[in-house]
Amino acid sequence: MTKKVPTRKRARAQGASSHEHNTGRCLHILQRLSAYIDDELASDVCEEIRQHLGACPNCEVFVESLRHTVTLCRHRPAPALSSVDRQVLRENILRAAGAQGRL
Amino acid sequence: MSTRPSKNPRDQANRTTGNERLQFDRIYRDHVDLIYRYANRLCGDVESAKDLVQETFLNAYRGFKDFRGDAQVSTWLYTIASRACLRMRRKKKGEPERELSLEEFIPTSEGEFRLQISVDGLSPEEAFQNKELRQALDQAIEKLPRKYRMVLVLRDMEGLSAKEVGTVMGLNERAVKSRLHRARLFVRRELSARGITEGQSEEPRATTQTSGGSYR
Repeated sequence: MTKKVPTRKRARAQGASSHEHNTGRCLHILQRLSAYIDDELASDVCEEIRQHLGACPNCEVFVESLRHTVTLCRHRPAPALSSVDRQVLRENILRAAGAQGRL
Repeated sequence: MSTRPSKNPRDQANRTTGNERLQFDRIYRDHVDLIYRYANRLCGDVESAKDLVQETFLNAYRGFKDFRGDAQVSTWLYTIASRACLRMRRKKKGEPERELSLEEFIPTSEGEFRLQISVDGLSPEEAFQNKELRQALDQAIEKLPRKYRMVLVLRDMEGLSAKEVGTVMGLNERAVKSRLHRARLFVRRELSARGITEGQSEEPRATTQTSGGSYR
């Protein structure tokens, strides 16, 4: 999750700000972005993607937004079960199991 | 004073039942919070999540003899819960399971590349202080077709490995990663301008920047 992404400034310096997102190259990159974020790609493929991100500001913004999305999912708190509910559910389960001849 | 093992079948049955109850109680105590959290994330509402917890542990109780211990108890319970969830949802709705294609996630306008609500420079905990963001994320996950939602919840929210998700869902790792990628792209799009503007506040929102900040 800590890939060094080239800055937009660098991308602009390479004269790519008019790059049209939607080309075959961008699609090719889009297909691999989760593997890129999860650090599952070979180093040469990572380098290829980094080079593309440096040249394509839209893809660079896109990968950051995808990275943020994954981070949000990973940290979304979930509500906890109350101790009363825990007890009630247990009783319901055992009652249902008993009704089916298990107890 | 020692006691001889009883040969009375009723005594043996009672002992078996007592052992099953002990085993059940141990499993329930150690995993009910985990399964409730998973159920809540899958179902999106408290009552359905409780129903799913009951269904899961009832099935676990019935199937305990079949559990050989070659998988982790948590993986076994996730598998039972996932199957129960598919059955419950099928009964309720019968909605067709939509396939997600990569092409539908290609942004077509400028505002779609970035997230609509700024998270730059914020920790995730700080970002979630924003109720609008919490709701948008929850709604996005809820809108996912269920087989994609299950993979996203198991991998990115419950923290299982791709291999473990494959075990739970009966998929190979390649299929898990393919579904996960589409699910992430779906949620990302829902949090972008395209997904979030409909039916939300009219006030202009701050947008993310391309780099910098501690939100990583």
